[in-house]
Amino acid sequence: MDLGLNVWAAFELSTLPQQVINGLLLGAIYALIALGYTMVYGVLRLINFAHGEVFMLGAYTALFASWFLGYGKGSTLETSGPANLMILLIASMCVCGIVGVAIERFAYRPMRSQPRIAALITAIGVSLLIQYGGALVLPIAPPPSINEKVNPYRGVVTMNLVGGDPQLLEGYEKAKIEFETAEKEWQAARDAKAPDEAIRTLRDKKNDADRTMGDLQRRMDNSGVKIRIPQGQLIMFGTTIVLMIMLTYLVMFTAVGRAMRAVSHDFDSASLMGINVGKIVTITFLIGSMLASAGAMMNATFLGTPLTTFFGVMPGVKAFVAAVLGGIGNIPGAVLGGFLMGIAETAVIWAGYGQYKDAIAFIILIVVLLFRPGGLLGSAKVEKV
Amino acid sequence: MSLLHLDKATIKFGGLIAVNEVSFEIKTGQLFGLIGPNGAGKTTCFNLITGVYKPTSGSIKFEGREISGTPPNKIAHLGIARTFQNIRLFGALSVLENVVVGGFLRHRTGLGSAIAYLPPAIKETEELKQDAMRLLEVVDLAHVANVRSRDLSYGMQRRLEIARAMATQPKLLLLDEPAAGMNPQEKMDLTGTVRRIRDEHDKTVLLIEHDMRFVMELCENIVVLDHGEEIAQGPPSEIRNDPKVIEAYLGEAV
Amino acid sequence: MKFFAVRAGSIALAVAACFALQSFAVGKGDLFFRLVFLAGLYVTLAVSLNLINGITGQFSIGHAAFYMVGAYGAGYMANNYAGSWGLKGPLLMLVLLLIGAVVAAVAGLVVGLPSLRLRGDYLAVVTLGFGEIIRIFVQNSPPLGGAYGLTVDAQFKFKYVWMVWLLAILCIAVCRNLLKSAHGLPFLAVREDEIASSAMGVNVTRVKVTAFVIGSAFAGAAGAMLANFDGFISPTSFPMELSFTILTMVVLGGTGSITGSALAGGVLFYIPEYLRDLKPVSGSSLVAAVIAVIAAVYVVKRIADHYHGDKGKRAALYLGTIIAGVALQMILAAVFKNVPSLANANFEASKLRMVIFSSTLIILMLLRPQGVFAHHEFSWSWVQRLFGKKVPTTAVSV
Ligand SMILES: Nc1ncnc2c1ncn2[C@@H]1O[C@H](COP(=O)(O)OP(=O)(O)OP(=O)(O)O)[C@@H](O)[C@H]1O
Ligand SMILES: [Mg+2]
Repeated sequence: MDLGLNVWAAFELSTLPQQVINGLLLGAIYALIALGYTMVYGVLRLINFAHGEVFMLGAYTALFASWFLGYGKGSTLETSGPANLMILLIASMCVCGIVGVAIERFAYRPMRSQPRIAALITAIGVSLLIQYGGALVLPIAPPPSINEKVNPYRGVVTMNLVGGDPQLLEGYEKAKIEFETAEKEWQAARDAKAPDEAIRTLRDKKNDADRTMGDLQRRMDNSGVKIRIPQGQLIMFGTTIVLMIMLTYLVMFTAVGRAMRAVSHDFDSASLMGINVGKIVTITFLIGSMLASAGAMMNATFLGTPLTTFFGVMPGVKAFVAAVLGGIGNIPGAVLGGFLMGIAETAVIWAGYGQYKDAIAFIILIVVLLFRPGGLLGSAKVEKV
Repeated sequence: MSLLHLDKATIKFGGLIAVNEVSFEIKTGQLFGLIGPNGAGKTTCFNLITGVYKPTSGSIKFEGREISGTPPNKIAHLGIARTFQNIRLFGALSVLENVVVGGFLRHRTGLGSAIAYLPPAIKETEELKQDAMRLLEVVDLAHVANVRSRDLSYGMQRRLEIARAMATQPKLLLLDEPAAGMNPQEKMDLTGTVRRIRDEHDKTVLLIEHDMRFVMELCENIVVLDHGEEIAQGPPSEIRNDPKVIEAYLGEAV
Repeated sequence: MKFFAVRAGSIALAVAACFALQSFAVGKGDLFFRLVFLAGLYVTLAVSLNLINGITGQFSIGHAAFYMVGAYGAGYMANNYAGSWGLKGPLLMLVLLLIGAVVAAVAGLVVGLPSLRLRGDYLAVVTLGFGEIIRIFVQNSPPLGGAYGLTVDAQFKFKYVWMVWLLAILCIAVCRNLLKSAHGLPFLAVREDEIASSAMGVNVTRVKVTAFVIGSAFAGAAGAMLANFDGFISPTSFPMELSFTILTMVVLGGTGSITGSALAGGVLFYIPEYLRDLKPVSGSSLVAAVIAVIAAVYVVKRIADHYHGDKGKRAALYLGTIIAGVALQMILAAVFKNVPSLANANFEASKLRMVIFSSTLIILMLLRPQGVFAHHEFSWSWVQRLFGKKVPTTAVSV
């Protein structure tokens, strides 16, 4: 998954805060997906391989919802308001909640009495079936997958940590205005079918202005330390945190949450104690899928990530690694692991090894399993003999 | 001579001290009992002796050699074999094959010989099977030698566990609740089998059992654990009248 | 020595059969020739994964990685060093094959060692991840051709169908011999219960690593054959779905059954090739097929769960369900023909491949998790029993 941020920046310390922020933003999505893995593993001791596919379907649902609202290709609608965003979010959460529960009901539940490997193979089968079966009917959506106009928050929030040169900023603002007027003049000339000669001069002027502006921008970027966050991603991050708080409340302070924890502690005893284990498992899948789909919807809307039916594989795997890193079955662990994964991936890109950004997840996984199989917040259980 | 010597063996799981400074000594040829209420730490003792867990402190000596921290498979090679309280047979393998796995640690031929299926490996396989067959006769399972072990009755599975452990030709045999779930008749037979194992096969036996009649009748020496602590040790006649033991059990029962 | 006579005889027979196959396949056109070659490769891949997965119970889903390592190892060595060895023909191919095997075995060791501490499901992800790491590494390695692939020098291209089939037979023989001798039992024991195995003196670590090393060596040897048969390999020749395809073969064949995985490998590999030549499937027949399969699976599951009659009747019921399913598909397809949106949608048949494999996995787990052959092996007494003869189960087959 590519955040499309300024992650290719040179390996410079002044960009470090920006990198950390990028890592956290990316990590928030991983954390949302990782929660689903961890919750399901907690209650069923099953790696829900199809979780990445639920994430993928969430993005597609958001895409279709945006089409339904009229933001298809070549849409002439104006930028929409927050209401449409809510519609997209609710649509994908509902659809994915149902999909997740259906997967559990029809594929995993019949496997309950079988050896764990049988359930795992089923999970792999479901995951592949959704990927390849989906590829038959779902379209490929190139970036931006969801029309940018759905997102009313397209500005960028800039924060100066260490002030840059104020003169540079002034100069930049001036150059920007110059460039914009030059561009308008050039376009006007072209529209008016002015003589070639004139158009060429205006174009050169525009290009010059562009170069000056770019140069000033680069100098400004390198002076001082600042953070730039697109508004959309800020909203994404905020929503993620809100969802996590809601989940924490649900798990820690409600009857359902208590039952969930009981099932996760000991499946068999919990069912003997009169907990409706089937219902708890269903709820777990419901919540896990809804969280993942929220991440998917925001990812597709705010980042415009291109969609194919294989879109969920890599985020899914990385989120799983995040869950293991934090200690699988452990909810705060999944959040921590998600953020760490995001930061690790950004760091790899930052260091100039972008081509290995998918490999890093697996390397982390192997290292964690070797040295701390229980994860950071979990404890390795000794098997009772 | 002392075959097994536990000296202040201790293991903690997090905050729980499952076995606390337990010491006892087993002499070659003894029939030794280990008893105590549920959760007393008996099985954990077995796990310490067989290397499943490493003691937090204390020492375990086998034939005068420190064995704590040695991996389980090495300990099996040294001559300690065990059965499991929650039966752990190789379910998909036949009864005979289960016992052959036990005997396999004495193999001499290499993997290459087996892969090429050369006469030494074939011959050895035959020998191991014959040895296993003889052991199956001892525990009266020869007639079901080719049945999948998963399909056996509970009592038969317990006996198969004993045969499999015997197949490693141990000097010390650890039996974890061998009579659990058996009816009185089966228990009687089992008493005879264990005696025979000791007398005819020259094994030293350490067994855990909840059935007091069974233990008192069979064992010559008994250690009693409660909450990980050793509370008594001695011959059955003493143990039977030990006030601490009575309290531990009565306290349990009420 | 009767033993050696029999052994020499069977080896000679195997070699002769492989050469006969080669000369038979040569006359039937390039496509057929390649199919025969691929069949041998996939039998090797499936049987070798079965050793790791089915027999030793180590749930590896990254087998294609070892295949890839072997292919690249052999291809790279051929291009850069083989010219100076002064070897030619089968001998050279044999050396390259051994190189592929050794390189993959080392990779198997690398994966096997950390995996020892992992339980089944974690191991699955680690093997998957290992495959990805290898692929990403190759993609970014200029000496190995990077993303563009590696072209093996034309002089090292060998179209040896016989050798691939000898490899397959060797792989089967190794697994079978292992299981027939007592040495195979620790492998099965580790699959059944690691703790009990180690209490019986089995060195669990050693067994797992051995399984990984032998299994990946055979996959690597198969990779070497592929690199030198096609003369071109690229990271896309070894996608993740290839691992899943091999896994499906093993699971379908039956956990631990050599016969099962060999047959499944030799048959399932053909599905992609078959689908490639098929004309596009219409939406109506596809939807009809989906409905029919779901209905048939549901009925079969009901029968399996609730009907406890004798074997023959049950088999008849199953057969009836399957026939009814096929009929249902045909009827529905005819009905759906009248729905324009379905009838006009066309799906490329080759895209159905992974859909078929993944549904096979799911349906199999629902109906027969132990696989078609379960733990059974091919033997003459088994065939006889299949046809109703009473043969004592204790009979030690020769
Ligand atoms: N791996 C472990 N992790 C945590 N606690 C453990 C572990 N193994 C044993 N215990 C705890 O140690 C205590 C002793 O257990 P143990 O199995 O040795 O009892 P026991 O005497 O064999 O009882 P029983 O008669 O029921 O078999 C128990 O409280 C148990 O829960
Ligand atoms: Mg116990």
